[in-house]
Amino acid sequence: MNNPLLNKNNFFIYVLIWIIISIFSYLFLTEALDVNWQISLIDTVVFNTIFFGFGLGFWYSAQFISIESNRISQIILKHSIASVAASAIWNISGMILIYLIFPDYKEYHNLLYRILIWRFILGVFFYCFMIFFYYLLIYYSSFQAKVIKETELNLLHQDAELKALKYQINPHFIFNSLNSISSLTLDNPSKAREMIIKLSSFMRSTIVNSELQKTPLSEELKNIQLYLDIEKIRFEDKFHYVRNINPCCLNVQVPHMVLQPLFENAIKYGVYESLDTVIISLTCSCENNYLKMVVENNYDIENPEPRGKQVGLANIRKRLNLIYNQDNLLVTEKKDNFFRAILYIPL
Amino acid sequence: MDNKIRTVIIDDENLARKIVKAYLKNYSDIEIIAECTNGFEGIKVINEQRPDMIFLDIQMPKLTGFEMLELLDKPPVIIFTTAYDQYALKAFEVNAVDYLLKPFSEDRFKEAIDKAILHIGDKTSQKEKIEKIIQHFDDNIEYLERITNKSGSKISIIPIDKVQWIEAQDDYVMIHTPEGKFLKQKTMKYYEDHLNPNDFIRIHRSYIVKLTEIKQIELFEKESYRVILKDGRNLPVSKTGYVKIKEIFN
Repeated sequence: MNNPLLNKNNFFIYVLIWIIISIFSYLFLTEALDVNWQISLIDTVVFNTIFFGFGLGFWYSAQFISIESNRISQIILKHSIASVAASAIWNISGMILIYLIFPDYKEYHNLLYRILIWRFILGVFFYCFMIFFYYLLIYYSSFQAKVIKETELNLLHQDAELKALKYQINPHFIFNSLNSISSLTLDNPSKAREMIIKLSSFMRSTIVNSELQKTPLSEELKNIQLYLDIEKIRFEDKFHYVRNINPCCLNVQVPHMVLQPLFENAIKYGVYESLDTVIISLTCSCENNYLKMVVENNYDIENPEPRGKQVGLANIRKRLNLIYNQDNLLVTEKKDNFFRAILYIPL
Repeated sequence: MDNKIRTVIIDDENLARKIVKAYLKNYSDIEIIAECTNGFEGIKVINEQRPDMIFLDIQMPKLTGFEMLELLDKPPVIIFTTAYDQYALKAFEVNAVDYLLKPFSEDRFKEAIDKAILHIGDKTSQKEKIEKIIQHFDDNIEYLERITNKSGSKISIIPIDKVQWIEAQDDYVMIHTPEGKFLKQKTMKYYEDHLNPNDFIRIHRSYIVKLTEIKQIELFEKESYRVILKDGRNLPVSKTGYVKIKEIFN
């Protein structure tokens, strides 16, 4: 890390501060100590300029004696030595300069000796103050860096979670569909072709768009239609699909493939296990600032509630919670022999 | 062989059965005597008509292929078919039983047929293999969600939450439900391992009880306890059983 005082704005402020300190030290000499204005001026300029320069160098002392790798006692010890050394060097170099430039100015020389001890103590204080100030800057910048890193990590984590919770294509569905297609080639090649195209379109939307998180409802409905058309070939008249979509909903952005698991459940646990025809219905409407989507199917009461279903529903709930920050966006109801899943998507 | 090989196709999907039928056209010595769309039909047909060989789909509604097999006394030679089932595949491989992955080619089909024909004469090793498969499959399911029962020609499927308590009976166990009780040829340990511990607890070497059926627990003799069920029945509790009960009810 570079000395933060060296950047343009901060350097300007540093200069300003030293000018103010200089004004104070000049006034102190002339008013409080009653020194004549020429001496005060020389003294102020020489000593403050030297310390101005030293101050910039103390940065390296602060960097070198880092807070992390030293105990407090070590830090205090090292800086005590450094402050004494720095103050001594300051005073000595200042005095040497004065002697060189004004070798005969006896009045001034006396003053120098008189205030030497005080100026020495002042030097120690200035050093400590600057070191403290530098430590503050170092701490603040590392704190900022940590906050940025944490935010980045959180985003990455959330991204990964969202991806994992997204619909994963079901192998059963793929292989059963391929088997059906294989069978269709025997006596209905055009239907086989139709099914291959639908299956590849469906896979395109799941596999190829694995990064996508949101799509308009109209696209989502297309995928559901594809999926059900493919399943219709296996199940024929065992189910019917009924849609009731309010046209104003079609442009609403919804999480990609959010409806898919609900329809899969309807097929797996409703249609597959039932002896009668099952009606699967989808109703979409906009109410109270939410898009409300209801997937409903009738089912055979004798079938016990399978555990696999709960996992699929829990994943949807979790995904919605991650995206919209609400954990009540999926509601399920079981009444008579109807199973209903209601999704609320904030508009 | 003078007689034809009598075979049954058991698969809930019409299109899947169609493929097997089409492939079998090339085998003049194999005769399709029946097609079944579910496990119940399958059991009926196998018991009545005694085929030599069957094509059995594992994923079927109501009763899976494995559940159907459990209820058969004398299983014929089986060619399993499945679209995708990790557990089943492992079971098959471990026990060297042939299976067909959907969709399958005619060549693969021929391989399976050839292998199966070799086994037709050998009924005993077949039964052993089937039992091993079922065992393997059983070991890998998490928690039971239903239990099958066959009495005479009637097959019932009982959801697990209807089971009230289970009692050991020599090599078998007796499953008690509100509708009645029946025997299963499985061990107490099997049920202890495959019932959700949040719902069922083994209170004694010979007894497993559904937690919600327990009305109260009372001290019986000096240091032994017993459980009183909702229907008034008393069941003894062993020392380890009592420790488990305490943990749950605290």
